[in-house]
Amino acid sequence: MISLHHYLTLATVVFACGVLGVLFRRNLLIIMMSVELMLNAANIAFVGASTALANLDGQIMVFFVMTVAACEAAVGLAMVIAIYRRYGTIMTDFLRTLRG
Amino acid sequence: MAEVIVFYSIASLLVFCSIMVVTRKNPIASAIYLVGALFLVAAVFAFLGADFVAAIQVLVYAGAIMVLFLFVIMLLNIDPELLKSPPMTAGEAAVLILTILSFIVISVTVFKGQLVAPVGELTTQEIAKNGGNTAVIGLALFMKYVWPFELASFLILLAIVASVVIAKKDKKKLTGDQADAERNMVGDLR
Repeated sequence: MISLHHYLTLATVVFACGVLGVLFRRNLLIIMMSVELMLNAANIAFVGASTALANLDGQIMVFFVMTVAACEAAVGLAMVIAIYRRYGTIMTDFLRTLRG
Repeated sequence: MAEVIVFYSIASLLVFCSIMVVTRKNPIASAIYLVGALFLVAAVFAFLGADFVAAIQVLVYAGAIMVLFLFVIMLLNIDPELLKSPPMTAGEAAVLILTILSFIVISVTVFKGQLVAPVGELTTQEIAKNGGNTAVIGLALFMKYVWPFELASFLILLAIVASVVIAKKDKKKLTGDQADAERNMVGDLR
């Protein structure tokens, strides 16, 4: 039988992949894809808990998370394009203007 | 038994796709694996009986957001030579191992945990009696959560305007010295 634990563990593993991608990749596009992975892991946890607790509020929360994720992707990719125009690269090694 | 087999095959494919997303060198390969991962997340939602969320996942994520990603990859047309990363340092390897270890600890803790939250009333039978998953969510969205729903539409409007403003061409050119300085800085690092 599949219980809530299985879904939460699956969400943890997917979230870990996303965190490692953000920490170790240097390509801005792949960093943004890792952020999407983390949001999806959170959504799995939300829906799993919603079903296990017989309460639909979790699924409505997923709806709002997806809205915010779409906004985040649009603005983030616009920033990637702006950065590429200005510096000619999207590798984070070269973007160190803000470093003190 | 069939339930267990289906869940484990979806879960292992999802973990495989997630790992591939973060390990591929080419962003296009990552994007393709991300499409696979998003569809598998939709499959997990459908498996949980969340029909509405599964449909929205396919439409919004696998449809809209992935098209956005692929468009940007196409637009940037990055030279593969520039995608090479320097080899991992000892400090980075230590961080990698520590992160993986802490996530293993978290997974084990989650797996051994006990559910103590109060259980609600909308069981699967109750939802089916009230007209199905989508009907129940729709009612809650337009009654209890109508104010956040309207705010979400405003947020989307803001995001549209913001992304157009951020990505549009800079009319005001940098003065010669500033532009040279910036280009030199990037060039030096290369």
